[in-house]
Amino acid sequence: MPYKYIGRTLDHKGKTLWEIIGNLKNCGIGRVIARNMFERYPEPTFMRILEVEAHPSPEKITMDDRRRVKVLVDYTFRAKRLPEPLIIDAISYKADYKLIPKDEEANYCKGNSIPMKLMPKMIELPPLLKELVIRDNIANNEPIDKDNEIEIAYKRGPFANFRPVKENEKPDVEVTLGVGEPITPSLYKGIDLKQSSNVRHNKSQ
Amino acid sequence: MFRIINNLKNLSLDISPVVTDTFNVISVRWRRNPRKPIWKGTAKSKIFRVPPRPNIPEEERLEITRLYNKYRTEVKSINNYLTSKYNVENQQEDDKDLKQKQFEADLAACMKLNDEWNAKQKILREARTAAELQDLIKLAQEKKLITLEKRSQRLKEAEEIVKEQKELSKHFILPEMLDAEIEKSLANPVDHNFALDKEGNRIIGRETRPPLDKKVEKIRQ
Repeated sequence: MPYKYIGRTLDHKGKTLWEIIGNLKNCGIGRVIARNMFERYPEPTFMRILEVEAHPSPEKITMDDRRRVKVLVDYTFRAKRLPEPLIIDAISYKADYKLIPKDEEANYCKGNSIPMKLMPKMIELPPLLKELVIRDNIANNEPIDKDNEIEIAYKRGPFANFRPVKENEKPDVEVTLGVGEPITPSLYKGIDLKQSSNVRHNKSQ
Repeated sequence: MFRIINNLKNLSLDISPVVTDTFNVISVRWRRNPRKPIWKGTAKSKIFRVPPRPNIPEEERLEITRLYNKYRTEVKSINNYLTSKYNVENQQEDDKDLKQKQFEADLAACMKLNDEWNAKQKILREARTAAELQDLIKLAQEKKLITLEKRSQRLKEAEEIVKEQKELSKHFILPEMLDAEIEKSLANPVDHNFALDKEGNRIIGRETRPPLDKKVEKIRQ
Protein backbone atom coordinates (compact mmCIF):
# COMPACT_ATOMS: atom_id res chain seq x y z
CA MET A 1 0.00 0.00 0.00
CA PRO A 2 1.44 3.34 -0.87
CA TYR A 3 1.55 5.99 1.82
CA LYS A 4 -1.18 8.60 1.72
CA TYR A 5 -0.27 11.86 3.43
CA ILE A 6 -3.03 13.91 5.04
CA GLY A 7 -2.67 17.50 6.24
CA ARG A 8 -1.23 20.78 5.19
CA THR A 9 1.44 20.78 2.50
CA LEU A 10 4.91 22.09 3.21
CA ASP A 11 7.20 24.59 1.54
CA HIS A 12 10.27 22.91 3.01
CA LYS A 13 12.09 20.22 1.10
CA GLY A 14 15.28 18.47 2.12
CA LYS A 15 16.99 17.32 5.30
CA THR A 16 17.68 18.83 8.69
CA LEU A 17 21.14 20.29 9.14
CA TRP A 18 22.24 17.52 11.51
CA GLU A 19 21.20 14.81 9.05
CA ILE A 20 23.67 16.29 6.57
CA ILE A 21 26.50 17.32 8.90
CA GLY A 22 26.42 14.19 11.07
CA ASN A 23 27.19 12.03 8.06
CA LEU A 24 30.08 14.09 6.67
CA LYS A 25 33.79 13.69 7.25
CA ASN A 26 35.11 16.27 9.76
CA CYS A 27 31.50 17.42 10.28
CA GLY A 28 31.49 18.91 6.80
CA ILE A 29 33.73 21.88 7.58
CA GLY A 30 34.39 23.74 4.34
CA ARG A 31 31.37 22.30 2.54
CA VAL A 32 28.59 24.34 0.97
CA ILE A 33 24.99 23.95 2.11
CA ALA A 34 21.92 25.61 0.62
CA ARG A 35 18.31 26.04 1.65
CA ASN A 36 15.57 24.99 -0.70
CA MET A 37 13.36 27.90 0.46
CA PHE A 38 15.75 30.49 -0.97
CA GLU A 39 16.02 28.88 -4.36
CA ARG A 40 12.95 30.91 -5.36
CA TYR A 41 15.29 33.87 -5.86
CA PRO A 42 17.34 34.05 -9.05
CA GLU A 43 20.48 35.02 -7.10
CA PRO A 44 22.30 32.23 -5.24
CA THR A 45 21.92 31.79 -1.47
CA PHE A 46 24.31 29.43 0.27
CA MET A 47 26.45 28.97 3.36
CA ARG A 48 29.91 27.59 3.90
CA ILE A 49 30.47 25.74 7.16
CA LEU A 50 33.25 27.08 9.40
CA GLU A 51 32.69 25.47 12.80
CA VAL A 52 30.33 22.84 14.18
CA GLU A 53 29.14 22.22 17.72
CA ALA A 54 26.77 19.32 18.32
CA HIS A 55 23.72 19.39 20.55
CA PRO A 56 22.57 16.25 22.38
CA SER A 57 20.07 14.17 20.52
CA PRO A 58 16.51 14.11 21.86
CA GLU A 59 15.50 10.80 23.46
CA LYS A 60 13.17 10.00 20.62
CA ILE A 61 13.52 11.82 17.34
CA THR A 62 10.10 12.78 16.00
CA MET A 63 8.84 15.34 13.55
CA ASP A 64 8.16 17.71 16.46
CA ASP A 65 11.48 17.12 18.21
CA ARG A 66 14.37 16.88 15.80
CA ARG A 67 18.06 17.07 16.56
CA ARG A 68 19.55 20.53 16.34
CA VAL A 69 23.17 21.54 15.72
CA LYS A 70 25.06 24.77 16.25
CA VAL A 71 26.98 25.80 13.17
CA LEU A 72 29.07 28.85 12.35
CA VAL A 73 28.69 29.68 8.68
CA ASP A 74 29.93 32.11 6.10
CA TYR A 75 26.53 33.26 4.86
CA THR A 76 25.64 34.57 1.43
CA PHE A 77 22.07 35.70 0.79
CA ARG A 78 21.02 36.52 -2.77
CA ALA A 79 24.69 36.81 -3.79
CA LYS A 80 25.40 39.27 -0.96
CA ARG A 81 27.95 37.98 1.50
CA LEU A 82 27.62 38.81 5.19
CA PRO A 83 30.76 40.56 6.45
CA GLU A 84 30.77 38.45 9.63
CA PRO A 85 30.07 34.75 10.14
CA LEU A 86 26.60 33.79 11.27
CA ILE A 87 25.55 31.24 13.90
CA ILE A 88 22.80 28.87 12.82
CA ASP A 89 21.25 27.04 15.75
CA ALA A 90 17.55 27.64 16.33
CA ILE A 91 16.62 27.08 12.68
CA SER A 92 18.82 24.02 12.19
CA TYR A 93 15.86 21.70 12.87
CA LYS A 94 14.13 22.74 9.64
CA ALA A 95 14.11 19.95 7.07
CA ASP A 96 14.97 22.36 4.30
CA TYR A 97 18.75 22.01 3.85
CA LYS A 98 20.64 20.33 1.08
CA LEU A 99 24.30 19.60 0.49
CA ILE A 100 25.93 20.91 -2.68
CA PRO A 101 28.32 18.35 -4.20
CA LYS A 102 31.91 19.55 -4.43
CA ASP A 103 31.98 19.57 -8.23
CA GLU A 104 28.83 21.72 -8.41
CA GLU A 105 29.93 24.27 -5.80
CA ALA A 106 31.57 26.71 -8.21
CA ASN A 107 28.60 26.64 -10.53
CA TYR A 108 26.04 26.97 -7.72
CA CYS A 109 27.73 29.91 -6.00
CA LYS A 110 28.11 31.88 -9.23
CA GLY A 111 25.88 34.94 -9.70
CA ASN A 112 25.68 38.68 -9.25
CA SER A 113 23.66 40.52 -6.64
CA ILE A 114 21.05 43.15 -7.42
CA PRO A 115 22.71 46.56 -7.99
CA MET A 116 22.20 49.20 -5.29
CA LYS A 117 19.22 51.42 -5.99
CA LEU A 118 19.26 55.08 -4.94
CA MET A 119 16.01 56.20 -3.33
CA PRO A 120 14.81 59.70 -2.47
CA LYS A 121 15.36 60.81 1.09
CA MET A 122 12.15 62.74 1.69
CA ILE A 123 8.47 62.13 1.04
CA GLU A 124 5.47 64.42 1.16
CA LEU A 125 3.14 64.11 4.14
CA PRO A 126 -0.29 62.61 3.56
CA PRO A 127 -2.91 65.30 2.84
CA LEU A 128 -4.73 65.37 6.18
CA LEU A 129 -1.60 65.27 8.31
CA LYS A 130 -0.08 67.95 6.11
CA GLU A 131 -3.10 70.18 6.75
CA LEU A 132 -2.67 69.69 10.49
CA VAL A 133 1.04 70.47 10.33
CA ILE A 134 0.32 73.66 8.39
CA ARG A 135 -2.22 74.71 11.01
CA ASP A 136 0.31 74.00 13.73
CA ASN A 137 2.86 76.13 11.92
CA ILE A 138 0.43 79.01 11.62
CA ALA A 139 -0.49 78.73 15.30
CA ASN A 140 3.16 78.73 16.36
CA ASN A 141 4.15 81.56 13.99
CA GLU A 142 6.45 79.38 11.94
CA PRO A 143 6.90 79.18 8.16
CA ILE A 144 4.09 77.26 6.50
CA ASP A 145 6.49 75.01 4.56
CA LYS A 146 8.11 73.65 7.72
CA ASP A 147 7.90 69.83 8.07
CA ASN A 148 5.74 69.38 4.99
CA GLU A 149 8.14 66.67 3.92
CA ILE A 150 9.44 63.89 6.15
CA GLU A 151 12.30 61.47 6.00
CA ILE A 152 11.47 58.03 4.64
CA ALA A 153 12.17 55.19 7.07
CA TYR A 154 13.82 52.66 4.79
CA LYS A 155 14.77 49.21 5.87
CA ARG A 156 18.50 49.09 6.62
CA GLY A 157 20.81 46.17 6.92
CA PRO A 158 23.39 44.13 5.07
CA PHE A 159 20.87 42.67 2.63
CA ALA A 160 19.06 45.89 1.64
CA ASN A 161 19.57 46.60 -2.04
CA PHE A 162 18.55 50.24 -1.82
CA ARG A 163 19.61 53.27 0.17
CA PRO A 164 18.56 56.90 0.53
CA VAL A 165 20.57 59.40 -1.52
CA LYS A 166 23.33 61.46 0.05
CA GLU A 167 24.10 65.06 -0.86
CA ASN A 168 24.70 65.81 -4.55
CA GLU A 169 23.18 62.51 -5.63
CA LYS A 170 20.17 61.95 -7.78
CA PRO A 171 17.66 59.23 -6.90
CA ASP A 172 17.00 56.50 -9.46
CA VAL A 173 13.28 56.37 -8.76
CA GLU A 174 10.60 58.75 -7.62
CA VAL A 175 8.52 57.91 -4.55
CA THR A 176 5.13 59.52 -4.26
CA LEU A 177 2.11 59.02 -2.10
CA GLY A 178 -0.65 56.82 -3.42
CA VAL A 179 -0.51 53.63 -5.43
CA GLY A 180 2.77 54.42 -7.15
CA GLU A 181 4.07 52.79 -10.28
CA PRO A 182 2.64 49.25 -10.56
CA ILE A 183 4.75 46.22 -11.47
CA THR A 184 1.88 44.76 -13.50
CA PRO A 185 -0.10 47.56 -15.17
CA SER A 186 -2.59 45.02 -16.54
CA LEU A 187 -4.21 44.83 -13.12
CA TYR A 188 -5.13 48.53 -13.31
CA LYS A 189 -6.73 48.39 -16.72
CA GLY A 190 -8.98 51.38 -17.38
CA ILE A 191 -7.69 53.41 -14.44
CA ASP A 192 -5.56 56.49 -14.98
CA LEU A 193 -3.23 56.23 -12.03
CA LYS A 194 -1.38 59.47 -12.69
CA GLN A 195 -4.54 61.49 -13.00
CA SER A 196 -6.10 60.00 -9.89
CA SER A 197 -3.00 60.74 -7.82
CA ASN A 198 -2.85 64.27 -9.23
CA VAL A 199 -6.47 64.88 -8.30
CA ARG A 200 -5.79 63.80 -4.76
CA HIS A 201 -2.66 65.91 -4.63
CA ASN A 202 -4.49 69.03 -5.82
CA LYS A 203 -7.32 68.49 -3.40
CA SER A 204 -4.93 68.36 -0.50
CA GLN A 205 -3.49 71.69 -1.49
CA MET B 1 -1.82 61.68 19.11
CA PHE B 2 -4.36 63.33 21.37
CA ARG B 3 -3.80 66.61 19.66
CA ILE B 4 -4.34 65.01 16.28
CA ILE B 5 -7.59 63.42 17.39
CA ASN B 6 -8.65 66.75 18.82
CA ASN B 7 -7.88 68.42 15.57
CA LEU B 8 -9.79 65.83 13.61
CA LYS B 9 -12.84 66.58 15.73
CA ASN B 10 -12.55 70.33 15.22
CA LEU B 11 -11.48 70.50 11.61
CA SER B 12 -13.80 73.43 11.04
CA LEU B 13 -11.81 75.59 13.49
CA ASP B 14 -9.30 77.94 11.94
CA ILE B 15 -6.61 77.69 14.58
CA SER B 16 -6.51 74.90 17.14
CA PRO B 17 -4.74 75.04 20.51
CA VAL B 18 -1.39 73.26 20.63
CA VAL B 19 -1.44 70.37 23.08
CA THR B 20 1.75 68.41 23.70
CA ASP B 21 0.36 65.85 26.15
CA THR B 22 0.58 62.33 24.81
CA PHE B 23 -1.03 59.04 25.75
CA ASN B 24 -1.44 55.69 24.06
CA VAL B 25 -4.52 54.81 22.09
CA ILE B 26 -5.01 51.05 21.74
CA SER B 27 -7.48 49.98 19.13
CA VAL B 28 -9.12 46.57 19.19
CA ARG B 29 -9.58 45.15 15.74
CA TRP B 30 -11.75 42.29 14.46
CA ARG B 31 -13.62 41.72 17.66
CA ARG B 32 -16.29 39.13 17.02
CA ASN B 33 -18.97 38.87 19.65
CA PRO B 34 -19.47 36.32 21.14
CA ARG B 35 -16.20 34.62 20.26
CA LYS B 36 -14.97 31.23 21.40
CA PRO B 37 -11.95 31.71 23.70
CA ILE B 38 -8.64 30.78 22.09
CA TRP B 39 -7.79 28.20 24.80
CA LYS B 40 -10.81 26.07 23.86
CA GLY B 41 -8.82 24.60 20.99
CA THR B 42 -10.04 23.35 17.65
CA ALA B 43 -13.68 22.34 17.44
CA LYS B 44 -14.31 18.57 17.09
CA SER B 45 -15.92 19.01 13.73
CA LYS B 46 -12.91 20.98 12.41
CA ILE B 47 -10.07 18.75 13.62
CA PHE B 48 -9.55 16.93 10.33
CA ARG B 49 -10.31 19.89 8.09
CA VAL B 50 -7.33 20.73 5.87
CA PRO B 51 -7.58 24.31 4.69
CA PRO B 52 -6.73 24.68 1.00
CA ARG B 53 -3.63 26.67 0.14
CA PRO B 54 -4.33 30.16 -1.17
CA ASN B 55 -3.72 30.22 -4.88
CA ILE B 56 -2.66 33.76 -5.76
CA PRO B 57 -1.46 34.46 -9.31
CA GLU B 58 2.19 35.50 -9.49
CA GLU B 59 1.40 38.95 -10.95
CA GLU B 60 -1.06 39.74 -8.20
CA ARG B 61 1.27 38.45 -5.50
CA LEU B 62 4.06 40.74 -6.69
CA GLU B 63 1.72 43.73 -6.81
CA ILE B 64 0.30 43.00 -3.34
CA THR B 65 3.82 42.66 -1.93
CA ARG B 66 4.90 45.95 -3.51
CA LEU B 67 1.85 47.81 -2.22
CA TYR B 68 2.22 46.40 1.29
CA ASN B 69 5.95 47.23 1.40
CA LYS B 70 5.16 50.76 0.28
CA TYR B 71 2.40 51.10 2.86
CA ARG B 72 4.62 49.85 5.68
CA THR B 73 7.49 52.18 4.77
CA GLU B 74 5.18 55.19 4.64
CA VAL B 75 3.48 54.38 7.94
CA LYS B 76 6.86 53.81 9.56
CA SER B 77 8.06 57.18 8.25
CA ILE B 78 5.01 58.98 9.64
CA ASN B 79 5.40 57.12 12.93
CA ASN B 80 9.03 58.16 13.22
CA TYR B 81 8.18 61.75 12.38
CA LEU B 82 5.42 61.97 15.00
CA THR B 83 7.59 60.25 17.61
CA SER B 84 10.49 62.61 17.05
CA LYS B 85 8.16 65.61 17.17
CA TYR B 86 5.96 64.81 20.17
CA ASN B 87 7.82 62.29 22.32
CA VAL B 88 8.70 63.74 25.73
CA GLU B 89 12.11 62.03 25.75
CA ASN B 90 13.04 63.61 22.44
CA GLN B 91 12.08 67.06 23.67
CA GLN B 92 14.54 66.83 26.54
CA GLU B 93 17.41 65.59 24.42
CA ASP B 94 17.83 69.00 22.81
CA ASP B 95 19.36 70.55 25.94
CA LYS B 96 22.88 69.26 25.44
CA ASP B 97 24.58 71.45 28.05
CA LEU B 98 22.28 70.22 30.77
CA LYS B 99 22.98 66.61 29.84
CA GLN B 100 26.72 67.28 29.83
CA LYS B 101 26.50 68.94 33.25
CA GLN B 102 24.44 66.09 34.64
CA PHE B 103 26.95 63.63 33.26
CA GLU B 104 29.89 65.49 34.77
CA ALA B 105 28.19 65.79 38.18
CA ASP B 106 27.39 62.09 38.11
CA LEU B 107 30.95 61.26 37.12
CA ALA B 108 32.38 63.43 39.94
CA ALA B 109 30.11 61.74 42.49
CA CYS B 110 31.11 58.32 41.17
CA MET B 111 34.82 59.19 41.31
CA LYS B 112 34.50 60.45 44.91
CA LEU B 113 32.76 57.27 45.98
CA ASN B 114 35.35 55.22 44.16
CA ASP B 115 38.21 57.02 45.91
CA GLU B 116 36.59 56.38 49.28
CA TRP B 117 36.26 52.70 48.50
CA ASN B 118 39.85 52.58 47.32
CA ALA B 119 41.13 54.15 50.57
CA LYS B 120 39.17 51.63 52.62
CA GLN B 121 40.42 48.80 50.51
CA LYS B 122 44.01 50.03 50.82
CA ILE B 123 43.97 49.70 54.63
CA LEU B 124 42.43 46.24 54.40
CA ARG B 125 44.86 45.17 51.69
CA GLU B 126 47.96 46.31 53.62
CA ALA B 127 46.86 44.48 56.78
CA ARG B 128 46.15 41.37 54.76
CA THR B 129 49.50 41.41 52.93
CA ALA B 130 51.43 41.90 56.21
CA ALA B 131 49.65 38.93 57.79
CA GLU B 132 50.31 36.87 54.68
CA LEU B 133 54.03 37.75 54.80
CA GLN B 134 54.26 36.65 58.45
CA ASP B 135 52.56 33.38 57.57
CA LEU B 136 54.98 32.81 54.73
CA ILE B 137 58.02 33.47 56.94
CA LYS B 138 56.73 31.01 59.53
CA LEU B 139 56.13 28.39 56.89
CA ALA B 140 59.65 28.87 55.46
CA GLN B 141 61.23 28.43 58.89
CA GLU B 142 59.31 25.21 59.49
CA LYS B 143 60.40 23.93 56.11
CA LYS B 144 64.03 24.79 56.87
CA LEU B 145 63.93 22.78 60.12
CA ILE B 146 62.45 19.78 58.34
CA THR B 147 65.16 19.94 55.67
CA LEU B 148 67.97 20.08 58.23
CA GLU B 149 66.49 17.11 60.09
CA LYS B 150 66.27 15.12 56.89
CA ARG B 151 69.87 15.98 55.96
CA SER B 152 71.32 14.78 59.31
CA GLN B 153 69.25 11.61 59.12
CA ARG B 154 70.65 10.85 55.67
CA LEU B 155 74.28 11.45 56.90
CA LYS B 156 73.73 9.00 59.73
CA GLU B 157 72.47 6.34 57.36
CA ALA B 158 75.48 6.81 55.05
CA GLU B 159 77.92 6.45 57.94
CA GLU B 160 76.29 3.21 58.99
CA ILE B 161 76.70 1.80 55.49
CA VAL B 162 80.40 2.76 55.48
CA LYS B 163 80.92 1.01 58.80
CA GLU B 164 79.31 -2.15 57.53
CA GLN B 165 81.45 -2.18 54.39
CA LYS B 166 84.63 -1.68 56.44
CA GLU B 167 83.73 -4.72 58.53
CA LEU B 168 83.27 -6.78 55.37
CA SER B 169 86.54 -5.63 53.81
CA LYS B 170 88.58 -7.71 56.33
CA HIS B 171 87.87 -10.88 54.32
CA PHE B 172 88.85 -9.39 50.94
CA ILE B 173 91.73 -11.05 48.96
CA LEU B 174 94.36 -8.39 48.28
CA PRO B 175 96.87 -8.61 45.36
CA GLU B 176 99.76 -9.34 47.78
CA MET B 177 97.91 -12.32 49.20
CA LEU B 178 96.86 -13.69 45.84
CA ASP B 179 99.71 -16.25 45.31
CA ALA B 180 99.40 -17.65 48.77
CA GLU B 181 95.66 -17.99 48.43
CA ILE B 182 96.03 -19.83 45.08
CA GLU B 183 98.52 -22.22 46.60
CA LYS B 184 96.17 -22.79 49.47
CA SER B 185 93.19 -23.54 47.27
CA LEU B 186 95.23 -25.89 45.04
CA ALA B 187 96.41 -27.77 48.07
CA ASN B 188 92.86 -28.24 49.35
CA PRO B 189 90.66 -29.18 46.39
CA VAL B 190 86.96 -29.21 47.13
CA ASP B 191 84.72 -31.72 45.39
CA HIS B 192 81.11 -30.48 45.29
CA ASN B 193 79.78 -33.60 43.51
CA PHE B 194 77.73 -36.11 45.39
CA ALA B 195 75.56 -39.18 44.83
CA LEU B 196 72.44 -40.50 46.58
CA ASP B 197 71.79 -44.13 47.60
CA LYS B 198 68.45 -45.88 48.04
CA GLU B 199 68.08 -44.75 51.65
CA GLY B 200 68.62 -41.16 50.67
CA ASN B 201 72.12 -40.84 52.12
CA ARG B 202 74.28 -38.27 50.46
CA ILE B 203 77.70 -39.60 49.46
CA ILE B 204 79.97 -36.58 48.85
CA GLY B 205 82.70 -36.61 46.24
CA ARG B 206 82.93 -37.96 42.69
CA GLU B 207 85.57 -40.55 43.39
CA THR B 208 84.21 -41.71 46.74
CA ARG B 209 83.05 -45.30 46.79
CA PRO B 210 80.11 -46.62 48.84
CA PRO B 211 80.94 -48.74 51.85
CA LEU B 212 81.37 -52.39 50.74
CA ASP B 213 78.65 -55.05 51.35
CA LYS B 214 79.19 -57.68 53.94
CA LYS B 215 78.91 -60.33 51.21
CA VAL B 216 81.59 -58.71 49.18
CA GLU B 217 83.67 -58.39 52.27
CA LYS B 218 83.03 -62.04 52.97
CA ILE B 219 84.19 -63.08 49.49
CA ARG B 220 87.28 -61.09 49.94
CA GLN B 221 87.91 -62.81 53.23
